[in-house]
Amino acid sequence: MSVFTLSQAEREKHLLPQLAELTAHHRENSEGYERILSSLGIARDASFASIADLPWLPVRMFKTHDLRSIPESEIFKTLTSSGTTGEGASRIYLDKAAAGAQTKQLGATLQEVLGNERLPMLMVDTIGIIKNRRSFSARGAGVLGMANFGRKHTYVLDENDQPDVEAVKTFLANYGDKPFLIFGFTFMVWQYLYEVAREHELDLSNGILIHSGGWKKLIDRAVDNTEFRRRFKADTGLTRIHNYYGMIEQIGTVFLEGPSGNSLYCPDFADIVIRNPETWEEQPVGEPGVIEVVSTLPHSYPGHVLLTEDLGVYNGIDDGDWPGKHFSVMGRLPKAEARGCSDTFQGAAA
Amino acid sequence: MSLNQRFPLSDAIEVDKLVEELRAEPVGGRLRVGDPRVVEFLTKFARKLLAPATARRFPELASLGFFLRKGEIAKALSTLETSGDALRFPRGLVFHVPPANVDTIFVYSWALSALAGNHNVVRVSSRSAGAAETVLEALNAALSEVDAETAAAITATQRMVTYDRSDAISGALSVAADLRVIWGGDASVAALRKYPLAPHARDLTFPDRSSFAVASVRGWQNASEAERRGAAEGFYNDSYWFDQAACSSPRAVFWVGDEAGAREAGQEFRKLLAEVLATKQHVTEPAMAVQKRVSAYGAAVDGLVSGIEFQGNGIATLELADPAILPREWLGAGTFANARVDTLSDLVPIVLRKDQTVGQFGFSKEELTQFVTELAGRGVDRVVPFGSALTFSAIWDGYDLLTEFSRLVTVQA
Repeated sequence: MSVFTLSQAEREKHLLPQLAELTAHHRENSEGYERILSSLGIARDASFASIADLPWLPVRMFKTHDLRSIPESEIFKTLTSSGTTGEGASRIYLDKAAAGAQTKQLGATLQEVLGNERLPMLMVDTIGIIKNRRSFSARGAGVLGMANFGRKHTYVLDENDQPDVEAVKTFLANYGDKPFLIFGFTFMVWQYLYEVAREHELDLSNGILIHSGGWKKLIDRAVDNTEFRRRFKADTGLTRIHNYYGMIEQIGTVFLEGPSGNSLYCPDFADIVIRNPETWEEQPVGEPGVIEVVSTLPHSYPGHVLLTEDLGVYNGIDDGDWPGKHFSVMGRLPKAEARGCSDTFQGAAA
Repeated sequence: MSLNQRFPLSDAIEVDKLVEELRAEPVGGRLRVGDPRVVEFLTKFARKLLAPATARRFPELASLGFFLRKGEIAKALSTLETSGDALRFPRGLVFHVPPANVDTIFVYSWALSALAGNHNVVRVSSRSAGAAETVLEALNAALSEVDAETAAAITATQRMVTYDRSDAISGALSVAADLRVIWGGDASVAALRKYPLAPHARDLTFPDRSSFAVASVRGWQNASEAERRGAAEGFYNDSYWFDQAACSSPRAVFWVGDEAGAREAGQEFRKLLAEVLATKQHVTEPAMAVQKRVSAYGAAVDGLVSGIEFQGNGIATLELADPAILPREWLGAGTFANARVDTLSDLVPIVLRKDQTVGQFGFSKEELTQFVTELAGRGVDRVVPFGSALTFSAIWDGYDLLTEFSRLVTVQA
């Protein structure tokens, strides 16, 4: 059952009523969310003409406030993300149903490129990242969440964060002649898998790579997505590469890079709106703006329509590998800095 | 661990050597209160700041230049004249720690202290931006335009330095000082207070403050079109110059008068303010626009506001649910809490010690004096018309700075 099937028109028709209902549901069950919408003068019985008309919350709200649509007694899991420095972490509350739905939908999304069976899996990380179950980093949570989709997990890094070439060679000897799954964060995949594979002439041609995370460190090395794909193909034979874009505030929803590369697609239960940062109107194809992520999954907290702090651009609509809008992420908005009397520099102190 | 000497421009120096030099008596004799050598140097420096090219680039430096003109200095010094048995003298060595980001405060603080005849060491932020750099250039240039003896006296007694975090340096300057002046908020004050002062010395502190504006509904109704426009322009300068993060910038606006009048006046005022933003081609960065929404929505979640209105990215108005609960923290450039009260007296119980500046429009001096009298010292250090919130004065945060920077000696025969 593919979740990459809906054209943009079908998506509007299919998702808008669900999203409007979710908006009403969260108004009913989250006092904070209700206060925001009523302060903005959005009537309780407001109707929305399109997905882009739905009211959005800045994603950072979940760092500054507890927003949930379930009573405390029903909290099954609290996800926390490490925020950027100086800010709190996001706190996302899931009940049992929401936790189940996010795992299920993430699975359905990845099935598109992995198929139905769990594949042997190379983790481009260290097992240490998931050892301390009491305090998870976002990276640890990502690794653990993804581990469910594979079997025979082999970690590429040893306990000292050094590449374990022998372990990778053994894994490839055992499973390398059939499809296998590789997961990791973009920068680590580059530094620890690509460079090791090139040096040791490893054959990754049966691999399916799922990766995510910022490009900042790679751009510093003059590696963009196109270059990343080209070099992997040329030096390791790996061609099935899927970057994804997602965030803890919309856990379970990932926007996945299509087979031909360089564009991210929305699963059928999600959508994207690129907004002009001056007018907040939707941008046409090719005009960069701020990314808004839309998903029907967030039921236990009002995170169904979120304005991110990332910049992106539509590459096209209904004209790519899969139906719907497809887009690229271009980077982050710079942080808003204030010059103020009580702003002292680090070190004024001493 | 040495300090860089930015003014007078010179080689790096060890802290003990610096203190020793600053302790020495300058050629031409000790500095006195209102010392002509200092006055001469300051007026030369002021002229540089008022040069058209500089004033155009940094309007805040023009204000500073104006503040240091000969006539203004004479006016300030005249407040120090003593009578009877008292004579006024400098305190000695003053150590100034200004904020990192308001580029001109360190100059006001230093200049008044120098006028009082003190030897000064000012720690300038190494992160200092354009305006601060221009100030340092102007100071160094002015030094070559005064006579040799004056230059020698200024060089011996006045230093602006930068140094990286160092307990040793901050500690040595603190213990050597007769007065320590700390700007830059609560965190700075707490950090600097870790370093002991000499037993006779004390701190002059400028902690975190916040400010609000009041506008008379009747005053607005009686104002001419030009006056209303002027109010919006003044308010723009008060609020947007430092991204509304200066302690003197208003974070809330209280309309004082009847409900219908307040609503109408407020709407017209915001319309005029939006026009000022358009005229000034004010740009709100996308990150700032998002920040403002995070703050505004957060205030809604906290139950502080009953309505939120955005006029583009430039102006966000948060209608307070209860005028008594106003946000005092920074909410993002161009984010104003808005509320109505019947009379100024209604604001009295709301005021805290932390409240510094009240920007006002449309009130008479009597009404404002009555208001301040009713406050009875619970808070508020200055009431100024719209447009003057950021104008520095020799009386600041309730202190008469020249008085603070000097001491009295009494003589009875």
